[in-house]
Amino acid sequence: MNKKKFGLRVAAVCFLFIAIWLLQRLLMPKYVSAIVEGSLIEEYYREETSHDVIFVGDCEVYENISPIALWDNYGITSFIRGGAQQLIWQSYYLLEETFKYEKPEVAVFNILAMQYDEPQSEAYNRLNLDGMRMSKEKIKSINASMMEDEHLAEYLFPLLRYHSRWNELSWEDFKYIFNKDKISHNGYYMRVDIQPVKTIPKPKKLPSYEFGEKAWEYLNRMVELCKENDVQLVLIKAPSIYPHWYDEWDAQIKEYSEEHDLLYINLLQKADEVGIDYNTDTYNGGLHLNISGAEKVAVYLGNILKETYGLKDHRDEPELSSVWQEKSRFYNEMREKQLRELEEYGYLKSLGVEKRED
Amino acid sequence: MKRLSILLIALLLLVACAGPKEGLEEVVGNDQQKAVEDNKSSKQGKTDGAVEDNDNNGEEDKGFEFEANGVVIAMNAEMAPIIEKLGDPMEYFEADSCAFEGKERMYYYSGFEIHTYEKEEIDHVQSVVFNDDSVSTKEGISLYSDFSSVIDAYGEEYTLTEGLYIYERGKSQIKFLVEDDEIVSIEYVAIVE
Repeated sequence: MNKKKFGLRVAAVCFLFIAIWLLQRLLMPKYVSAIVEGSLIEEYYREETSHDVIFVGDCEVYENISPIALWDNYGITSFIRGGAQQLIWQSYYLLEETFKYEKPEVAVFNILAMQYDEPQSEAYNRLNLDGMRMSKEKIKSINASMMEDEHLAEYLFPLLRYHSRWNELSWEDFKYIFNKDKISHNGYYMRVDIQPVKTIPKPKKLPSYEFGEKAWEYLNRMVELCKENDVQLVLIKAPSIYPHWYDEWDAQIKEYSEEHDLLYINLLQKADEVGIDYNTDTYNGGLHLNISGAEKVAVYLGNILKETYGLKDHRDEPELSSVWQEKSRFYNEMREKQLRELEEYGYLKSLGVEKRED
Repeated sequence: MKRLSILLIALLLLVACAGPKEGLEEVVGNDQQKAVEDNKSSKQGKTDGAVEDNDNNGEEDKGFEFEANGVVIAMNAEMAPIIEKLGDPMEYFEADSCAFEGKERMYYYSGFEIHTYEKEEIDHVQSVVFNDDSVSTKEGISLYSDFSSVIDAYGEEYTLTEGLYIYERGKSQIKFLVEDDEIVSIEYVAIVE
């Protein structure tokens, strides 16, 4: 084989791989103007400085706590590695992966996910797994999360899963093929609108109030992982009124946290102390807090974390201060933009939010 | 070189021709804004016609039905005609689905509540839950009945998990939670594919 022929073959192979890679990039959902929750996990990799606190858990972390308020009030640096219906094994592997990049002082886990003992839905799996960088933690998380009809190969090579999107491609898929706009504030999903709590759904009777074996197993592993990495684990229940948090569940977590010498904060029980007003601090009837509620939770939680674990105030450190000033600027800009939109249209049109009849 | 070109073309054809895999529409769909807008006009669904299982699979697939004030409520049926016949609920709650479009809605009537799910932007009955003993199943079972009355009415073809007796018929289930031989919870549930 002469040199020219060999060079052509190498170029052809490279071209083939680049074409496949580009096709995959193009066909994967971008999660920018809709289902933005799919972008949360990957935004962590843009971080250039480390964090004192890492949050993991479901929507009750990424919608209910403002890392910017933690910085503004206490100089605490934090990131929320939360995802929609994030299952406990997904939280565990995200923590394991995070500890490869940094060792925070504190890890906070929202324990609502203890209610699930089995994988729930491919759609939610995708929101939590697609954004993870390729790693052994990602593969372990995929294996723990897959539904019966899912395949590891479809996660490792998403083109196999998303190939059928070719006829749904929009300008957004081309625009964000390489870079996406940042949508979160260190993992926090901002909402400024208000929808007060009007009805609290009646809790359904359950056949069993015991958490499942798999959920306990991963909580045990999370405790061990944090110990090994010298990270303080804190359990919280966010102040969301639905899905219902049963007293029987609360009792199990209390007992567990006492046995394992963990701090457990039930913010739902402490909503008055936190200062949550369910008429003004929620954007969807008490399921999730709006920015006002998320800042109150951050102020309350930040004080406990600072007092209990002696977290350092970094506001006088020039490098960190400059990074977080930029984050605050983006946060305040988005807040203003959402408020203007709310004033103009009566709802958050750009987020694809439905206009409420009331 | 020729082989590589063929491989590349074959790959592109495979991608272009492949059909969608079921069940991930909400993840792969990118036309969410349109969905929200369409939702506004079609959420209430049909407002005329009978209140029945919209899958219309005939008598043998007809699932369990609950009847209240002469209104038959079948699982998976469209909700709008049911509301029209039952009247406005005493209370109403809606929960956003985390991340995805669509809401779970709960309608509270005297003695029972109806939960719905959205399919093609139309509300369908997901479940009916009894809240007191003022209502009963078509077979005459109400809350706090003896468990033996369930066996008499529904037979012994059930599955049992931690005190929860589940009967299945068509695309529906009826679930009885039993404590100390007493029924403490009754729920009709749609089987949604």
